Amino acid sequence: MGDNNISNRIRRLRFDHNEMTQQELADRVGVTRQTILAIEAGKYAPSLPLAFRIARAFNTSVEDVFEYPDGETSPDARS
Amino acid sequence: MNRTQKGAMMTLSAFLLNAAFLGYLFIRIFVLKSLPRVSDMAPLLLASAAMATWWVALSRKRQSPAEPEADERDKAILKNAVLASFISILLFLAATVLVLALVLGEAGSVPVYVLTFILFGVCLAAGLVYSVAILIQCEHENNDGR
Repeated sequence: MGDNNISNRIRRLRFDHNEMTQQELADRVGVTRQTILAIEAGKYAPSLPLAFRIARAFNTSVEDVFEYPDGETSPDARS
Repeated sequence: MNRTQKGAMMTLSAFLLNAAFLGYLFIRIFVLKSLPRVSDMAPLLLASAAMATWWVALSRKRQSPAEPEADERDKAILKNAVLASFISILLFLAATVLVLALVLGEAGSVPVYVLTFILFGVCLAAGLVYSVAILIQCEHENNDGR
């Protein structure tokens, strides 16, 4: 948990999918609303299975939902 | 509030009530040098009944019918809380031993029943830290997410 540099477009995708609420998305992927909130805020990095379930909820790929900064290959590369 | 937070609130309230009761017993027996009276239990019973009512109300209201018992983030929060609780036990024991050594000196001794109070204190400290750690982690991330 804690800060991570993986950004996401979950909020945008929710609004594009009939203004899906955080609770509705949480119910679809099997987590609590607080977890979706933390993921959207970038305060929690989801596990791979959860990331895939979120992508499937929006009928898209994981890369379209989550983004890792270009050029970074290790945590120490951040500067 | 999800189930993890509700559980932490319930645990915290139970441990605070227990701490208050033990504190009352300690003061009654060792400071006032008298045995507790049955009439003194009335506030405790009222507080317990109020707490039980609050627990029932808290547990009945759910965020969603599909809300899981605990998701992966909750498990990570619980893991950190257990670690914090374990560290609090070590710190509490170390502090207790240090204070007793400083107060009583090398040749000092304590009655055996003091160990019972130390044990209760350890349990209370662990429970309080566990609950507070969960609530702090949940609230910290929720606030940042708004």
